[in-house]
Amino acid sequence: MKKVLALITLALLTGGCAQTAYWTLTDDMNRVVQSKSFQMTVPDGWVRTTKADTWERIEIDGEPQTILLESMAVTRDGTSLHAITVTRHYTHTAFPVIKKKSRGNMLPNEVADLYVSELRKRSGLERLKVLSNKPTKVNGKPAFELVMQFKNEDGLRIRIVSYGFVDKTGFYTINYRAPYLYYYKRDYKQFTSVVRSFKQLKGANDPPPEMPAWAKLFT
Amino acid sequence: MRKILSYILPLFIVGCATTGDVTSFSSAEDTGNLHEKERRLWHEAAGFDATIERSDQIYNNRQATVYLQGVMDRLYPEFKGKIQVRIYDSTELNAFALPNGSIYFNIGLLSRMENEAQLAAVMAHEATHFIEKHSFKQRVSTKNSAAFALSGIPFANLAAASSISGFSQDLEREADAKGYARLVKSGYNPREAHKIFQYLADEVEALGVEEPYFFSSHPQLVDRIDEFKRLSANYKGRGRVGSKSYNRIMTPIRLDTLRKDIGQDRYKSIILVMEDSKKRRYYPAAGYFYLGEAYVRRDEKGDMDKALKAYKKAAKHSPNFAPTYKRLGMYYMKNGDKTKARYNFKLYLSLAPKNARDRAYVQQYMNSL
Repeated sequence: MKKVLALITLALLTGGCAQTAYWTLTDDMNRVVQSKSFQMTVPDGWVRTTKADTWERIEIDGEPQTILLESMAVTRDGTSLHAITVTRHYTHTAFPVIKKKSRGNMLPNEVADLYVSELRKRSGLERLKVLSNKPTKVNGKPAFELVMQFKNEDGLRIRIVSYGFVDKTGFYTINYRAPYLYYYKRDYKQFTSVVRSFKQLKGANDPPPEMPAWAKLFT
Repeated sequence: MRKILSYILPLFIVGCATTGDVTSFSSAEDTGNLHEKERRLWHEAAGFDATIERSDQIYNNRQATVYLQGVMDRLYPEFKGKIQVRIYDSTELNAFALPNGSIYFNIGLLSRMENEAQLAAVMAHEATHFIEKHSFKQRVSTKNSAAFALSGIPFANLAAASSISGFSQDLEREADAKGYARLVKSGYNPREAHKIFQYLADEVEALGVEEPYFFSSHPQLVDRIDEFKRLSANYKGRGRVGSKSYNRIMTPIRLDTLRKDIGQDRYKSIILVMEDSKKRRYYPAAGYFYLGEAYVRRDEKGDMDKALKAYKKAAKHSPNFAPTYKRLGMYYMKNGDKTKARYNFKLYLSLAPKNARDRAYVQQYMNSL
């Protein structure tokens, strides 16, 4: 029991973990969300995370694993209902569940295919359908724009729009997820403006961080 | 049989009876006289049917569904209208029966079977679970602690959880024996029965993974193969195999299964099927394209060359299958051969439907050359 408490305390003190992320209301003064690798401007009157999550626990081949990343979220009605999330995956863990790395020379449609496989395998949503998959640009880089959809157990259509690209620093995604009924259309324009505002920062070129000691205890 | 529902649904039934009190159905009329506790079980099963339908997990192929129902009605004419066969949109090798007579076949399993006799063997087994009320019997005769532990799982996990538990060995044996007897009585060749289980055993071994294959775990699967071989050893008849009709109907489903397999990164499964000439012969030639995709996903030394060979085979044997040319174009573009890249992209654009998902990409790649 003492060991468990010690590990939890250690994890909390180490910082940067999902549990310590907190939310703030956006207004004219704090609409620019900034992480080490990227920044974007988010809508006024929403709530956003104040700093990036730097790790995530996911199941790979049935085993919980820790992977490092940078991820920020913004929502209007709460993340369980709808959210925009921006994530940078490092090259070695770009598609962690299907165990694929990203390479700078990957074509956008190759990246999109891998990303869909990753989402399906990670969520167990075999029925996740791709409605459209088009080339686009994000921050001036060749990218994909995926529109996906699935129906939950209640028959509610949940739509996911993902913009993504790879470069030598990793795999970046900007996701918008919302029920198609009412919410999706209401905030879609806001989402596209977030995509347009996305910028990579110089910090993206820094080498990926080391896995923290506490994470190694779990992995 | 590996189905969580058999455990979960009976949880809604309170109280106990003895297995001896449970009488099996002899015809569709019997299903009108359900015990109160059974009625509740049926109600829950109907709820599960509705959830599957609402969440878009029914595979829509009317011709195949009608065909499957026809095979079931041929096997059990006395239950016509009560046993309903549906196709479940999952590439995992599985089939399951609900207590209310709904029987689901995954497209993954349908793709692997080779003829109607094999389909009928699995169907008869599944239908026996329903007719003999195995879900109900299992509930009233056992206090299965695992079932209680699993009762809180959300719907989204049901498919995964279905691999955890199965019926008791006695009930499985009963389903084997009675299913086999019905298979013979209905005029099917029972020598086909063990083959489907052999394929599943091969796959379990080759992939080195545990999947929610029906017929429980590996050693039991092997026992079952032996038992079916023993049963059919003395069979002298010339029963129906039904290879032609089965394969005609399953061809588009097989191609769709390969597409969905690659969409879930199940490349090992594709390589297993498409590298084996015996298994591959039932797949359309466009399957070579997915073999190429599977090699790309595996990404081991020499896989890119293997992929290129597979794409070329797909182009040769299925020349109108557009996705092959997109992949060939991408390959040549990456390797600096602009002429071949342009040629293949052009072919793709001429063959792919106007609303093809990758058309815009290919157009863009063409323009960049």
